[in-house]
Amino acid sequence: MTPEISWLDDPETFRVNQLPAHSDHRIYQTEAEVQAQQSSLVQSLDGTWQFKFAKNPSERPVGFWQPDYDRSSFDTITVPGHIELAGYGQIKYINTTYPWEGKIYRRPAYALSADDKGEGMFSQGEDNTVGAYVTTFSLNRSLQGKHIVVQFDGVEQAMYLWLNGHFVGYAEDSFSQSEFDLTPYLKDGENLMAVEVFKRSTAAFIEDQDMFRFSGIFRSVRLVGQPLLHVRDMKLRPNVDSDLKTGDFNLELALSRETGEDGSVAVEVTDAEGQIIYSTQKTVNDHFEVDHETIPNIHLWQHTDPYLYHLKITVMDEQGDTLEIVPFDFGFRRFEMKDKIMTLNGKRLVINGVNRHEWDSKRGRSVTMADMKADLATFKANNINAVRTCHYPDQIDWYYLCDHTGVYMMAENNLESHGTWQKMGAVEPSYNVPGSVTQWREAVLDRARSNYEAFKNHTAILFWSLGNESYAGDDIAAMNAFYKDHDDTRLVHYEGVCRNRVYEDRISDMESMMYDPPKAIEEYLTNDPKKPFIDCEFMHDMGNSLGGMSSYDALLDKFPMYQGGFIWDFIDQALEVKDEVTGQTVLRYGGDFDDRHSDYEFSADGLMFADRTPKPALQEVKYYYGKHIN
Amino acid sequence: MASTSTKQVQIIYGDATLGLRGDDFGYIFSYEQGGLESLVQHGKEWLYRAPKPTFWRATTDNDRGNGFSVDSAMWLGTDMFLKCTSAAVAVNGQPIPLPISPENNKYSNHEFADYVTITFTYETLTVPATTVTAAYTVNGSGEIRVAVDYHGKQGLPQLPALGLRFIMPTPATQFTYDGLSGETYPDRMAGAVPGTYTVDGLPVTKYLIPEECGMHMATKQVTVTRNQTLNNADRSDAPFSLTFEQDEAPFAFSCLPYTAEELENATHYEELPAPRRTVLTVFGAVRGVGGIDSWGADVEEQYHISAEEDHHFGFKIQGV
Repeated sequence: MTPEISWLDDPETFRVNQLPAHSDHRIYQTEAEVQAQQSSLVQSLDGTWQFKFAKNPSERPVGFWQPDYDRSSFDTITVPGHIELAGYGQIKYINTTYPWEGKIYRRPAYALSADDKGEGMFSQGEDNTVGAYVTTFSLNRSLQGKHIVVQFDGVEQAMYLWLNGHFVGYAEDSFSQSEFDLTPYLKDGENLMAVEVFKRSTAAFIEDQDMFRFSGIFRSVRLVGQPLLHVRDMKLRPNVDSDLKTGDFNLELALSRETGEDGSVAVEVTDAEGQIIYSTQKTVNDHFEVDHETIPNIHLWQHTDPYLYHLKITVMDEQGDTLEIVPFDFGFRRFEMKDKIMTLNGKRLVINGVNRHEWDSKRGRSVTMADMKADLATFKANNINAVRTCHYPDQIDWYYLCDHTGVYMMAENNLESHGTWQKMGAVEPSYNVPGSVTQWREAVLDRARSNYEAFKNHTAILFWSLGNESYAGDDIAAMNAFYKDHDDTRLVHYEGVCRNRVYEDRISDMESMMYDPPKAIEEYLTNDPKKPFIDCEFMHDMGNSLGGMSSYDALLDKFPMYQGGFIWDFIDQALEVKDEVTGQTVLRYGGDFDDRHSDYEFSADGLMFADRTPKPALQEVKYYYGKHIN
Repeated sequence: MASTSTKQVQIIYGDATLGLRGDDFGYIFSYEQGGLESLVQHGKEWLYRAPKPTFWRATTDNDRGNGFSVDSAMWLGTDMFLKCTSAAVAVNGQPIPLPISPENNKYSNHEFADYVTITFTYETLTVPATTVTAAYTVNGSGEIRVAVDYHGKQGLPQLPALGLRFIMPTPATQFTYDGLSGETYPDRMAGAVPGTYTVDGLPVTKYLIPEECGMHMATKQVTVTRNQTLNNADRSDAPFSLTFEQDEAPFAFSCLPYTAEELENATHYEELPAPRRTVLTVFGAVRGVGGIDSWGADVEEQYHISAEEDHHFGFKIQGV
């Protein structure tokens, strides 16, 4: 297949040769590796790569992926990281308007007319910077002879991949993992991997999040050596009977059997004390299922007691030798809507939540495990029980950590298109995408699918969220339907339907508003509401703020259908730089990089300052959230 | 007003000032400066400029978003350029003609009283204008009772703040207060824990844009400690302190190295000048910070400060 740069302009081309999304389970070769959380089946490609920056597509080094290309003029860059923070490309912050505001006139393809294909809009975009990345690797011995895939956890915003001069595939969706099969192109010894990253593609219209606008390979890259028998996908459904005591354990595995291998799969579930509560072993087929296995006297999972069971799947070959082990910790919990009130384990759920952008003042959105652990420690210390992954899927580790810490998750898709319908604060959807534009539907459905398939096994996720501030139309209704078709153990959230009420019976299980004043919420709740209410964003903590939380708190006691909300937001987005005058380390924001049009300091709305020191307002959050711990 | 001190305060009827002295204290009220020009206890000067009523707070993001600073902008000019229009003196509660020359030629270097009150009247630069008075009553132990009265006027926009601002010559090394934990505002103080707290240095809360910060509501007393003066003959670095305490009711205060205008002017923390002073402001009324959103929602009404109503507050500066 020949890669086409025109894919950047086409909303209907967003994944080429990508492997289907699947559960985010991890594989290990031995029990010792599981204990050490260090898999010999995984080979990291993080580190120093060769790099060449181009200001726009016409200046890019065409053909750099060929093994014999002269790359002597290439620099180096650290992966993962943002191209802009490595000193290439201008740093920019903007909220709703598109980053090309005032510089380039663009309308999304097909939004105003079925004839408007947007040809050349990004592939010839003068603002479309390009990063050419190259690395070499030799397979670790433990991966040799296996089926080799490469996983990119996050590349913003469109990437083309080559191995040893062969085109492998193309991906958009900056915040979902993109996985490609490398096996056909691998060779013994050194392999040459090349990635061409474009800052913009049609994805730009639906990745208009209120954040610094970066590009590059900003999350980890790894090779995975899959054994000839391999758990490709796992669907875990640890349901709870209405008696809140009896577990209903369901497990489906989709297995890859490279050459029709035979073997067996053993499944074992242990409780937190290590007692085996369920085990089974079966000869492999393509499909493996544990169907409605009753487990009595289960220990429920919830924020105050995030009790986890341990699932271990062992895949063995014909001789009974272990090929791979899949460990996965999960909890039993029952989340449902009862009498228009969302209940967890039979009790009304109260969300004491925060919106959390991934942020590190030195590294941007390329956050570290230390950042994540620090954030959860802050959650715990301040009675924060829930997080909305605004407005994209987070790093995979975050979902595991939330399972373990008992943080309820609203797992949001990578979707935000407010620049297409909200202009200078007014609702003006004249060229909204995705809207009901058919050419944009598959792209957003794919984002829903990627989010669901990757994270469907995480106990912490109570809500799927369709995205943020993207108005409402048939395409978002299709995303809602996707989740409804695939998951009856969680609820679907989407705020934007409140801007287009025509869809209110087809989108979102709850009434969700942002920044509604307490009086407006009270009015909704006293007028025979259809759905329970949550604030997907409230208490805008920009600068010195967070006054008046008592008025929201009062609603909790007055209205059972008021179920709390997510404070906007957890951490200021600002960047540490050296002050050009004093040389001191200082924090900078939009407009400080000569970037215009900008929304300046509007990204600083956190309970934490950008350097992760707490803002004074946190003691107020701790107090009010502490009144309703559940 | 009854004086609890058995000592008397000495009065120096100067030509430009009213001096009040006692054991280990000396205060100078200036008719020219329109306020308390010098506050010396144990030989240490506590004032850099005469304290004045203050009306402005450095715009918060919420204030900016809802246009509050625009609507109330005339208070910024008043805060910067407030003028003193008159001074009045009472001895042992009895008003006397303003004791400037030649009226003061009848006094001596041995004038004493149980207590003396000097009241300064300030006229705001608002349209319409109104007045604020600050009255200082000093007794023989050097205790100063301060009473501030703001006179409400129909048609004036809401006040960003109302306080009396003391600018001290050098930065405090610490302050200790008996009040609430953390930074608090009328609409953000439920989570605070009452207690006695010591704050080292003069931290400015590092909001990304420097803005109103460092408020401490419901305070019973605050003691500011410094260890340097600007007096060239004073080379000591031993700490010395001054205590402000509640009189009628607890008060709010902030203790920062900057005025509201200095904070207002900076777009980044690093643009703030090197800390050189201590700005201790005792507030009689504090506007809430709000939080519903940052682009239009107002602070809830009960946390506004009406400029159309009278406001009174008082506190004491401890004597020696």
